[in-house]
Amino acid sequence: MNPTIDYHALAPEIVLTVTVAVCLLVDLVARRSELVPRLASLGVLGAIVPVITLSVDGANRTMFGGTYEVDNYALVFKGLFLIVAYLTILVSFHYIGEGDYYRGEFYVLLLTSVLGMTVMASARDLVTIFVALETITIPTFALAAWRKHDTKSNEAGLKYFLIGVISTAVMLYGMSVVYGVSGANKLVGIREYLVDTNEPALFAVGVFLTLVGFAFKVSAVPFHFWAPDTYEGAPTPVTAFLSVASKAGGFVALITIVNIAFFPSKGSWQPVIFVLAAASMTLGNLAALRQTNIVRMLAYSSVAQGGFMLVPLAVAADVSSNSAWEGVVVYLLIYAGMNLGAFAAVIAVARRTGSAEISSYAGLGRTDPALAVMMTIFLFSLAGIPFLAGWFAKLVMFRAAFDSGTTGAVILGVVAAINAVIAFFYYAGVGRQMWFREPDPAVERTAVPTPLTLNAAMLIVTVGVLALGVYPQAIARLGELAFTPG
Amino acid sequence: MEWFDDWALTLAVFIPLVGMALVLLIPRAQEQAIKVTALATSVVTAAVGIGILVDFNYDKSGKLQFQADESWIDVISSRYHVGIDGIALPLLILSMLVVIGCIIYSWDHFPEPRNAKAFLALVLLLEVGMNGTFVAQDLILFFIFFEVVLLPMFFMIGVWGGPNREYASIKFFLFTLFGSALMLVGFLALFFTSKQQTFDMVQLTQFGGAGIDHTTQMLIFGGFFLGFAIKVPMFPFHTWLPDAHTEAPTVGSVLLAAILLKLGTYGFVRIALPMLPDAAKDWAPWIGLLAVIGIIYGALCCLAQTDMKRLIAFSSVAHMGFVMLGISTLTDFGINAAIFGMVAHGLITGMLFFVAGSVQERYETREMSRLGGLLTQAPKLGWILGFSAMASLGLPGLAGFWGEFPAILSAYDPSAALDGIAGSSAFTTYRTFMVIAAIGTVLAAGYLLFMLQRVAFGTPKPEFENAHVHDVHVPEWLAWAPLLVLILVLGIYPNLLFDVTDGAVTNVSTLFSG
Amino acid sequence: MDLNAFLILAAVLFCIGIYGVLARRNGVLVLMSVELMLNAVNINLIAFSAYVQDVSGQVFALFVITIAAAEVGVGLAIVMLIYRNLRSPDLDKIDQLKG
Repeated sequence: MNPTIDYHALAPEIVLTVTVAVCLLVDLVARRSELVPRLASLGVLGAIVPVITLSVDGANRTMFGGTYEVDNYALVFKGLFLIVAYLTILVSFHYIGEGDYYRGEFYVLLLTSVLGMTVMASARDLVTIFVALETITIPTFALAAWRKHDTKSNEAGLKYFLIGVISTAVMLYGMSVVYGVSGANKLVGIREYLVDTNEPALFAVGVFLTLVGFAFKVSAVPFHFWAPDTYEGAPTPVTAFLSVASKAGGFVALITIVNIAFFPSKGSWQPVIFVLAAASMTLGNLAALRQTNIVRMLAYSSVAQGGFMLVPLAVAADVSSNSAWEGVVVYLLIYAGMNLGAFAAVIAVARRTGSAEISSYAGLGRTDPALAVMMTIFLFSLAGIPFLAGWFAKLVMFRAAFDSGTTGAVILGVVAAINAVIAFFYYAGVGRQMWFREPDPAVERTAVPTPLTLNAAMLIVTVGVLALGVYPQAIARLGELAFTPG
Repeated sequence: MEWFDDWALTLAVFIPLVGMALVLLIPRAQEQAIKVTALATSVVTAAVGIGILVDFNYDKSGKLQFQADESWIDVISSRYHVGIDGIALPLLILSMLVVIGCIIYSWDHFPEPRNAKAFLALVLLLEVGMNGTFVAQDLILFFIFFEVVLLPMFFMIGVWGGPNREYASIKFFLFTLFGSALMLVGFLALFFTSKQQTFDMVQLTQFGGAGIDHTTQMLIFGGFFLGFAIKVPMFPFHTWLPDAHTEAPTVGSVLLAAILLKLGTYGFVRIALPMLPDAAKDWAPWIGLLAVIGIIYGALCCLAQTDMKRLIAFSSVAHMGFVMLGISTLTDFGINAAIFGMVAHGLITGMLFFVAGSVQERYETREMSRLGGLLTQAPKLGWILGFSAMASLGLPGLAGFWGEFPAILSAYDPSAALDGIAGSSAFTTYRTFMVIAAIGTVLAAGYLLFMLQRVAFGTPKPEFENAHVHDVHVPEWLAWAPLLVLILVLGIYPNLLFDVTDGAVTNVSTLFSG
Repeated sequence: MDLNAFLILAAVLFCIGIYGVLARRNGVLVLMSVELMLNAVNINLIAFSAYVQDVSGQVFALFVITIAAAEVGVGLAIVMLIYRNLRSPDLDKIDQLKG
């Protein structure tokens, strides 16, 4: 018996797959032409169309015996991933085009990774989650090492690869134990098992190892050490992609598996997430304070932001409504936008000065006010200063902690509050260079104009950050919808 | 004028934002157009303010007027709710007035590195935050506006400030951000512990913390306290203030002293006291204690200063101590005095910073040991300095008196609700505060006269003997005249203000009269 | 059939794999250690699959085998790249980026 396939529900994935194939073929015919990125961006936009029609339709579509589900939750994330992919292509366009890079393959790998993400959003069993996660990760190994002749990029790729495979192995080992104990592969089945039975200690071991595997993927402390090195060595658009899309992919897997499968076994996952959250916020921030390279600073900041995102997850078991889960989703959506914006600005500045040192930002407010204003907006939004979208992300995070009201959650909330203040310090440090300092005459500047695509990406994010900061209801509603059965 | 009732406050808050957008759209080279746009924006905003003044129902000043209540972030049950009563009205008008003054004052002399466009855009953004804070009736909305002022002030100090500006601006930001983070934590805790689960300030005030156990109330109040006390600033959280004031450009200092500090005291009166009256009773004596320590400490620090601006900054610490002392008595009399003190301090200290800025511009120093003989070289400026200093030290007949004197007097007879909390008898404790505060006024007279004598009297020092010093010029007159007139008018006829505030203050103080 | 025997074998293999990853300095040997870890997972999956009488564990194992091949393919490519640039498969020589 053949499984019934709902082609409408699979349309985003199908469009992406076709785009990948077409891009490969076109690249064979026309090497290094601009055609490939154009096709890729069209394909991504084309994939957004069915996401929209599906959300208008609103019905839950379940396939393959319940292992693949297209519901509101999946659609919110598919939308996010596709938009992030589009912005990444905009950001990469000139960077990859101007360097001595393999242009066609770059976009093929990028889109393959995005394909994995859209699958991840719908995955509802262990096998599909694993396959999706690997589809996300394997292309990014190659992307991180993209600059073939640059040993730094080689090193970035190797470190990322090693951490990636080790974390996969650990995660798989955990999953195999979870599967063995519960006898179920589908997440719903695992949950049913947990509701009916008192799980043995072995199950907790399985959960622990699975979570450790995910912690590597989302670079939570103490499994974060690869992130700064990889981020620094990889080409900056790839770094942007890794720190936003790839991280979000990991988070989606984490949310799905905890929310649907592990939820009833609170004791086995909650303490782990709690420790990961507190450690990531604090150590990520403290490490970020010491950085002199902006990419490394943003790497540690994204570790800390990951910690903030874990806070609602850590308290979700004690919150009766869905607000904690919504908190994670809202935080993730907002974080994706502002972090991508920050990296786009880093690329734009590096085009001028050829440097990623924070000190090279001195006087940017004089030499290029528009760019400096946008960078300031992204950084202060990351810091959570109101009327920039970041404040709302922080608010929903605090809200979840206090909604739960347990002593542990309140302590975590206060730790997060203090960390939010510490984080301001290094974000403002860059702002200080840009606005309070004179341009350093020693830094050579080229007067190359920022390419249109890069400007467009930054502008889109700027408008989004400002609009959502003033009217966060729009994104909060998305978060709410994600957990409303369609 | 039905529509005006609905829209007045929204206009008052967001016209500056529109103005800021316009200013940003004008090319930087057309400085004149930028300045005119900014000024026009602030004047139009003030016109809305005058409309509010005219339409305001003074017989019901305790009731929220000009209310607008629209849905905003439903998901977290926060609404766009604005409204104004007798406590907020004077502060809102003060804010509008001072902004106009600041724009006129900077007309011909923007501090280095000039850039009128960015500077005025920041001033207008500041106005959005300040006006918004005074009219917000939803805790999240309040929080947003409370925070909006941080960024523009941060950049104003950091870009246009003095030699030590980086340190000062970061310190300012970190202190206030730390306080407001804990304040937000308090807001959320209040939201979840209150039965209605609302951020609406009117409802939370009616609810008055009922049903929240005492320890939790004390902790939530602690969050509020840190948020507001850092902003006020109260001893020992004041250390950011002298640095920020000293380094800030003149206009930044004026806005900081005149309006931003009031956001803290306003928060106490509007949020901390009425929403958690039980905790407020337990906290009040400690607030009173810190207030009088602030009065004495600020005054003693003033005596040690050689920099004119730094002296005025420390005098702010002392004066805000009087305001907080008035609030801590939890009486009608004391809180009325506190609000008068807020307005008076806004006008007077704003003026003092303006004059200090003008002196610095003329002599390129604020070191009092190098200054002298202002009265001979620029007599009008000298007299204005004298007038402001007299007002600041609480000379009867000028506005400062009505903020300071009743605040001290109110400590003679604090709220009966404090009995048993502030020692065996609240009277002994608060009368001790009163005596200390009274000593503070003597010290205030000391340091202000000391400053006046060193800056204005005597003969110019040799290095400035032949300097050509402009007396007060037109933009300065235009910027200062309203403040000077108000200092005098409120001093002679204080009921002008007390009549407005009293109705609203009674709402707060009745919570403690039982 | 004794399930525990398989689980212990898998656990031992997994630990040897982890040790190899941490202790080996040669890129190719590290990759082989990773293979060891993944195969430990496969043994686990098959053993559990037989034990709970559910076929999805075997399906899972097939996917792991396939994807492990792809992963190691990319990994070998990166090690080759480094070998070309540095003329050595020794991972200790790769230390330009400081954590």
